[in-house]
Amino acid sequence: MPNWLYRFRRQARTDGRGGVVIRPRSLYILPTRQGILLALVLFLMLAGSINYGSNLAYLVTFLLGGIWLSAILHTWRNLLGLMIHPAQVSPVYAGQEARFSLSVTNPSSLQRYGISLHQKKLLGESADLPAEGSCLLYLPIPTVHRGRLSLPEISLHTVFPFGLFHAWSYARLDISCLVYPRPADAGNPPADSCYTSSEDGDRGVGADDFVGLRTYREGDSPRHIDWKALARERGLMSKQFGGDRTERVDLDWDLLPAVDTEIRLSLLCRFILQAESQSISYALRLPDLTIPPGMGERHKQRCLAALATFGE
Amino acid sequence: MHQTIDHTLTPKLQLQLYLLTGFVLVPHVQHLPLVVSFYLFTTLGLRFISLRIPNLQPGRLLLFLLTAAGVALIYNEHQTLMGKDAGVSLLSIMLVLKTLEVRRRRDLYVTIFIAYFVIVTQFLFDNSFLLLIYLLVLLVGHTSLLLEINRVSPSRNFFEPYRQTFWITLQALPIAIILFILFPRLGQPLWHFGHDGSAQTGLSERVKPGTISQLIQSSAVAFRVTFKHEPPPPEQRYWRGLVLWDTDGVSWYTDENNPVPILSSSIMPTGQPVEYEVLLEPHRKTWLYALDLPAVAPSKSKLSSDFLLHLREPVTRPKQYDGLSFTRHLTSPPTEELRQRALRLGDGITERQRQLVSTWRAASASDSDLVERALRHFNEREFVYTLNPPRYLKNPIDQFLFEGREGFCEHYATAFTQLMRLAGIPSRMVVGYQGGEYNDLGDYYTVRQYDAHAWSEVWLEGEGWKRIDPTAAVAPERVRSAIQPSLGSVGEPALFRIDSDSLIGSGLRQLSMLLDNSSLRWRRWVLGFGQEEQYGLMRGLGLGFLPTRQWGLLLVGLIGLVLTLIGVRLVRQGRVKQEQVQVLYQVFCRRMAAIGHPRHAHEGPLDYSVRVCRERPDLANPVRLITKLYIRLRYGEHKTKNNQAAFADQVRRFRPGRTY
Repeated sequence: MPNWLYRFRRQARTDGRGGVVIRPRSLYILPTRQGILLALVLFLMLAGSINYGSNLAYLVTFLLGGIWLSAILHTWRNLLGLMIHPAQVSPVYAGQEARFSLSVTNPSSLQRYGISLHQKKLLGESADLPAEGSCLLYLPIPTVHRGRLSLPEISLHTVFPFGLFHAWSYARLDISCLVYPRPADAGNPPADSCYTSSEDGDRGVGADDFVGLRTYREGDSPRHIDWKALARERGLMSKQFGGDRTERVDLDWDLLPAVDTEIRLSLLCRFILQAESQSISYALRLPDLTIPPGMGERHKQRCLAALATFGE
Repeated sequence: MHQTIDHTLTPKLQLQLYLLTGFVLVPHVQHLPLVVSFYLFTTLGLRFISLRIPNLQPGRLLLFLLTAAGVALIYNEHQTLMGKDAGVSLLSIMLVLKTLEVRRRRDLYVTIFIAYFVIVTQFLFDNSFLLLIYLLVLLVGHTSLLLEINRVSPSRNFFEPYRQTFWITLQALPIAIILFILFPRLGQPLWHFGHDGSAQTGLSERVKPGTISQLIQSSAVAFRVTFKHEPPPPEQRYWRGLVLWDTDGVSWYTDENNPVPILSSSIMPTGQPVEYEVLLEPHRKTWLYALDLPAVAPSKSKLSSDFLLHLREPVTRPKQYDGLSFTRHLTSPPTEELRQRALRLGDGITERQRQLVSTWRAASASDSDLVERALRHFNEREFVYTLNPPRYLKNPIDQFLFEGREGFCEHYATAFTQLMRLAGIPSRMVVGYQGGEYNDLGDYYTVRQYDAHAWSEVWLEGEGWKRIDPTAAVAPERVRSAIQPSLGSVGEPALFRIDSDSLIGSGLRQLSMLLDNSSLRWRRWVLGFGQEEQYGLMRGLGLGFLPTRQWGLLLVGLIGLVLTLIGVRLVRQGRVKQEQVQVLYQVFCRRMAAIGHPRHAHEGPLDYSVRVCRERPDLANPVRLITKLYIRLRYGEHKTKNNQAAFADQVRRFRPGRTY
């Protein structure tokens, strides 16, 4: 569609709960290439019927014409009344595809077939929707920059039943995906001030040196369970490891070479991933935000989210 | 279920497509040249084999060669690529070639569209009801493949797509019928593709010994007649088709460059008028059949002075017309030119013919006496009436008269006419049909090709043109009751003969009459539906005042109406029915909203009631009661009628005020 026409488009109306409902006025329908081809073939058939004056040829041509016309209504109905709700989306690194997941609901008692999700030229998933049921459809959208990526205007499409007509409806949903900076290529954190000894001493939460046993608590990794102790019927015991005394790293914005902001964020992202994979406790210091040292998935996500939204 | 639409086609789907393609082509086998049929089914066979053994899938080169071979084949068979026969061959070949390269969804569409076209072309050859049903089933089959590939997950049940397509087709049927009735019919083709070689059984413009006896083998219907009053007796049922004025000694014809003028003088009937309605099968000729002799010309036809009904265009679909005839006439004398024409002799007049005629002349007092004498000659000598006369090659009339003496009606008629001309009596050949079988279910007569007949007309002073049937002199039973090819005739063994008096015989007769009766209706109202029927129907519906130009508006309006009805039905169809309880609860919510306490989307009925009671303590009692009853009726097990009535009553009486 040319750009100037965009202004005249109607979008599916919101239902007041973050989703949209496809109503007749927001539905578009046009013949597909096959639909136009069939129309041409029908005109040829009509010419033949007229020429040879065969009434049965007329009848069959008209029947196909009738099917062609009622296909408009069936395609239109196939999309009518469907509801789209945002479901979930996991954060990605810039350059990866953000996989938006949307829930499409069919509130009617008739099955809907061949419903697909698009974003401009990007093709999402297709599904058949059961009666009074719903379905999660994924729409992959490539990312370039870090930040918060709102789902652009999407459209829901169908060509069912015969592929002769193409019905679609535009919708804008309030859902966004957090895009972390792209991790910089492998590199080492600046050597001078990164590593500091733990002032608190060994708290037995490291991963290197075995320091003793304690009773199992929920959440302990099964790899740390002392299976031999269990075999001796001494109950579930978890092995404790130390070594966190020396392994701590401060990831400080100011200590990085004063290059471009995005490059610095990329570097920080890389360091966070490295520290995480090496099980080194790390803290993040940005000009406007400091995250105390820590480790684990949630800590990582918190730090990466801080990088993603840096400067907002 | 979660997947993008697969753009390759499953083997199961392809198998269905190729089977349907094969079925579509089967009826064409009888119209296409044998080599073309062979080509079609060989190629389709290759397609089936390569479905099993993908290595045998023809590559680009083989495909090109097959295409070239196909086109060459058509050109060789038809000497053209245009026109009906060549066009149908071409389409069929395109269809099978397309099946060889179905790889993507796009190919499937193209194949199915070509198949639609091939389905329509079948009706250029055959118009039977059974064929229509057969092809409609195939049409739904093809269309259901389209439906199947536009789903994401394949349907679990084999018949499900067929069922869905069937319903959509059924919805399209009213549109098809409206178009069928209102779409303007042209009386003539848009363009001619030269000669269409399809031979239609029926009488032709040229008759020579043997042409009618060939026709007699066919039991195809020529036309059906309904008499409005009393039907004439069988020996009066002569159906006039053509008058043949000219002869070369062997064949009889009417010179196209010398047509007989239009009837100008008035008619002097002597007998009773007979009114009737004819439903003529398309015979691709420009004349109509009428009971001897027609007095008026049906619309769009002209009555020539030899009492023939001429049309401008050939009859290509069943044609219905009204006729008015008188079985006896006084006709005015022919012009001098026509008189000369009715005396002109062809080649092959022999001395023994002259002698025969001169002995008759010598013995007769008048022309009519001579005619009597000639008829007696055929009756008294050992002339034999047979369906299988010997072939007279050298001089048919002479050999028949003096050597073979075995002949069919055209032998008698040609010989008689020639002898009359020799005797100086103006005479002409008439061909048409004689007789007809009565169908008591529909009260009409069916005239078939085996009723084809030829007779003579002679000009007798004082009597006008008089019909003389020399065959009747030899075999009077021919005229009184129809001959049927299966019934015994000289020289032909009776292979299958059912005694019409036996129970099975009469049952079969009844059945065939029933079939013929429904066939009449089918032909009259579907196949024969044309301009006149359109006008008639419009008048019958009280729309006769509407000019033809405005039919288009009516057409569009009616189709719009049908589409609207379908649309409304489709929208309603999917709606989930709400119970009365829910509807009433929504009434309650609306009334609360009206006083400024709308129910939020996330609120359940109970939460809502708690909030409302807090905000409006004065309404607490009715609100609590309504909520309690609602929950009980909707989710509980106490769905008694009492509860329902109480709930409805409470909601109806609930009229909250804005403030308290």
